[in-house]
Amino acid sequence: MDRNAAISLFLSAATALGASGCLASQFAGRSLTPLFSSPRAVPNKITRPFRPDARIAVLWVGHATVLLQMDDKVFLTDPVFTDTVGELSRRLVEPGIDVDAVPPVDAVVVSHMHFDHYSMGSIDALGSKVRRLVLPEGALVYAADWDFDVRELPRWATWSFDGAKITAVPVRHVGWRYGIDRSWMEKSFSGYVFEYHGLTVYFGGDTGYEASYFRETARRFSSIDLALLPIAPLQPRDFMERNHEDPREAVLAFRDLGARRMVPIHFDTFVNSLDEAGDAVRALDRAAKEMHVDDRVDRLEIGEQRVIVPRGG
Amino acid sequence: MSGAPTPDVVWVVAQAIPSPEIASFDHAAHFGLRWQVTPVLYSFGTHRSAPRWRAFIAEPFTRHAGSVELFASPEYMTSDRSEDRLSLRVGTRSYFPIASRGEYLSVSIGASYSTFRGGAVGYEAGAYTLFGILGVAVTYSPSREAPTWIGTLRFRYF
Repeated sequence: MDRNAAISLFLSAATALGASGCLASQFAGRSLTPLFSSPRAVPNKITRPFRPDARIAVLWVGHATVLLQMDDKVFLTDPVFTDTVGELSRRLVEPGIDVDAVPPVDAVVVSHMHFDHYSMGSIDALGSKVRRLVLPEGALVYAADWDFDVRELPRWATWSFDGAKITAVPVRHVGWRYGIDRSWMEKSFSGYVFEYHGLTVYFGGDTGYEASYFRETARRFSSIDLALLPIAPLQPRDFMERNHEDPREAVLAFRDLGARRMVPIHFDTFVNSLDEAGDAVRALDRAAKEMHVDDRVDRLEIGEQRVIVPRGG
Repeated sequence: MSGAPTPDVVWVVAQAIPSPEIASFDHAAHFGLRWQVTPVLYSFGTHRSAPRWRAFIAEPFTRHAGSVELFASPEYMTSDRSEDRLSLRVGTRSYFPIASRGEYLSVSIGASYSTFRGGAVGYEAGAYTLFGILGVAVTYSPSREAPTWIGTLRFRYF
């Protein structure tokens, strides 16, 4: 059995154990433990997230799920509202907004096929609120026969609608969903850039640090107002580093992108590593200070909404 | 499209894993094993713009989001009669999603023909979870020659 086959078998077994996609290394015990406890409640959930006072507003729902408002447009990234991902990996904190409170969404984007990013049950729960769904290249084979418009976007391809544009941008990750499919789902992962009314927002989804990708994105999108960047999982680093940037690398990516503000995502929501809750944000705080960007990093709590660009500001 | 599903050694190994079953015939319970091959599958649960036909390799979503498949199942049964030990079951089966587009829970119904003791028709129903990796299926045959009931703990990955 060659190395790739061995990895594939390992990933398949990991998935079978209830991996939440990105946890290829599957720490089944850690993952299963939260099954027997309830997710931490989010107090005072926002029920009216649309902000008339904002040009860009961000509500962190948890993990890579972000409700993004750009003027009158609403976008949702990697929506996961279910109690579990991969059926056996339970969330530590409940979603930062109830599905019922989510306004109509102009476009949902999915960065890749892992269960903690592509939740068909969550998309079904959003139902008729979804107007469009953007998937990475090759992912349509894992799309249900939804009524709304669903499109794959190959790298650098753009979908324009109603004055808004969504462009697929390169990230470093993997495209499989179940493990065995890693040998043919080789391209189904992406980041995205949202453009509307002169505003630009970058969504990194789940990515390792690849400076050339971020710099090329910056070259093509010269004025990024906000970067939504993953900062975890961290440990074990040898295993994670290829496909997951750590907080320091996330700050480097933020600088490479030339973005004005950064909101960290993809931490402390699901158990998918050997990290302890808080590890990633402490490392982010240190890295941001060392690189003198701490005043441009907006660290949100799950369920917290922040106006990044105010109207008239 | 990233690429068409392609068999590799891992897929072959996964297909070699049998599903254990208990069959009732000759007034006794017999242990058995069943393997699964899907020569062709049509998925009616996947997106209308995506390819819906599969041969041999069907992703869990493609199968459990709603599909019809032709299947062939080599079966081994413990029996005192050596001619009873190996048989082949062929048939058709349809899957219907119940939760999370079938990835969390799906059910199936089907009909088959088994070569056991000269041949018999069987009817089956099943339920599956964990992306179809784990399931239970019951096969009933009205024939006096074939096992009347077979309960299968189904393991299947792709």
